[in-house]
Amino acid sequence: MSGVATTLIKNSSMLGKFNKEFLVLEIDERSLRNIFKVLPAKNLCITNLQKDQVQRNGDPDFIYQMFKNAVNKDVTLFVNNEEPRSRSLEDYVGKTVYYSLEKNSKTFTKDDFYSVTMPCPKCNHKIEYEYYNIENIGKFKCSNCDYKSTDEPDVLITDIDFDNHTFKCDDNKYEVSYINPFYIYNYALTIAICKKFDIKFEDIQKGFSTFVNPANRRETYKYHGKTIRYLRIKQENPETLQNALDTVARDKTKKALWMGLYEIKDFPPAYTNTFYFFDCDFKKVVNDTVEKYVCFSKTVSYDTANRMLYAGADKDKISIYDVEDDFDKIFEELDKLETDNIYIITGMKPYKKIKLFLEKGDNNE
Amino acid sequence: MNNVINVAWMYPDVLNLHGERGNAKAFEIVAKKMNVNLNIDRIDNIDEIIDFEKYDILLFNAGELKVINEISNILNNQIEKLKDYIESNKVILVTGTTGALFANKINRLDGTTFNGLNIFDMDVSERDMVIGDDLYFEFENMEIMGSQIQMIDINLKSVNPLGKIKYGYGNNGSNSEGAKYKNTIFTNELGPVLVKNPWMAEYLIELALKNKNIEYEKIKLDYELELKSLESTKEFINQKIIA
Repeated sequence: MSGVATTLIKNSSMLGKFNKEFLVLEIDERSLRNIFKVLPAKNLCITNLQKDQVQRNGDPDFIYQMFKNAVNKDVTLFVNNEEPRSRSLEDYVGKTVYYSLEKNSKTFTKDDFYSVTMPCPKCNHKIEYEYYNIENIGKFKCSNCDYKSTDEPDVLITDIDFDNHTFKCDDNKYEVSYINPFYIYNYALTIAICKKFDIKFEDIQKGFSTFVNPANRRETYKYHGKTIRYLRIKQENPETLQNALDTVARDKTKKALWMGLYEIKDFPPAYTNTFYFFDCDFKKVVNDTVEKYVCFSKTVSYDTANRMLYAGADKDKISIYDVEDDFDKIFEELDKLETDNIYIITGMKPYKKIKLFLEKGDNNE
Repeated sequence: MNNVINVAWMYPDVLNLHGERGNAKAFEIVAKKMNVNLNIDRIDNIDEIIDFEKYDILLFNAGELKVINEISNILNNQIEKLKDYIESNKVILVTGTTGALFANKINRLDGTTFNGLNIFDMDVSERDMVIGDDLYFEFENMEIMGSQIQMIDINLKSVNPLGKIKYGYGNNGSNSEGAKYKNTIFTNELGPVLVKNPWMAEYLIELALKNKNIEYEKIKLDYELELKSLESTKEFINQKIIA
């Protein structure tokens, strides 16, 4: 709440008049109710309502009820057409704007016996996906009621060209720096909002061209002649872990994978949640192109290794380091590997220390 | 009678919160280690009439309270057959908030209530604050380790608890964890609890084998990785207690 007040004060005159055309606030899901009471926004965007920080947010329906009780019929809701849960808040607002992606080259399906979806937010029966654009987001329909993603969304992204970083919307061709399905959904939302406020293509394109993500979670290092691709995840969040695994899986060349999935220390008490591993599909990174899997962290390295075994990894390819921050030890096998192509996946906790370790290694060469 | 243990994985998409599909996979993997023939059927449609005679183990993973209400209404239409299943010592594993399905009455935060299946003599109240922590308890001389994201408080009446807490919140912050009636077993631990505790999967399969009069010569299984995980988590918990 104090952040919202500060933003308003910083953008107001001495007489207390807000001096900008638009106010865009990114609100923590749990704060929405309280902020809505004092700032009853007419336009609300919900990008997704999936599991995140379960230690404080609990089940998604716990947060859903907070959203449901906060919104009203004066609100225009901007939602992802292909995310069943947040989309279903359409029943509680005055108007809904749906944004969507066309099926594209990164679209995928699931047919594994152990693949699972989610309950319909309207009738609690099984949601079926025709395809996915991102984990748990894609063209869907309920197996029981008539709830489904619409084939005629208000904003539809088409002609996605991942190689050339372009896509189309309403016959306008956009060029962007960052391109993956997650980003494209966010571009679609941006276009939907801009359309509502008559912001033209040229201005939107200018925004996309100059956009820099200050919290990019991907970095590349050189260390002992190896190329290290460091993918950071939001710990405990299965979607970001899956995105990292998908990135590794898309690389069809020889590689090795270091995974440092630590215990969770976001809020007291710290705990050893590893259940989100099983929300993710590790099979995608289990194949002959991977020379070595290294699982490290003081407490949950054994659970990480076990998850790899459950996905079918060869036990002989797995090394376990139940140590914390001893990176000389954790990376001791690096020089012995044939491959020069190394991936590291960790949460935020060890990031600075690993970065320092890798940079120091560069200086020593 | 055949030599196959049949598992019904109840509503895998609807009772799916925290990677619980790992429990079904754990049954497959542990049974393979035990040299036991085990078949898993998915019951995808919550309206499906369950062939209780066919199954030896029912797996009810963690789900949200709103879906528990729906499932309770549907299963209450088959309640006599479900009770016969339970009374004949067949096995049910229930995890997380889905424990509410087997309770008497469930009180929701919005003031509404709904009835469970009255299998466990216990009442359930939805919490207004989430409790997320490790949960470590003992049951049948087994150490069970995992996590709980507790959305409900459970008040046991005449039903026995499943185990005694060594660390964690359990049913309601007292030292009781879960509930057990015959071979219907409920734990607040959620996620792939059988992956972390394969000895529990082995125990449940053994119960099903015994119940079906299938001869089984117990063999010592290799749980090296899981035992190391247990020890490292116990050390982590000890550090929390000291701090």
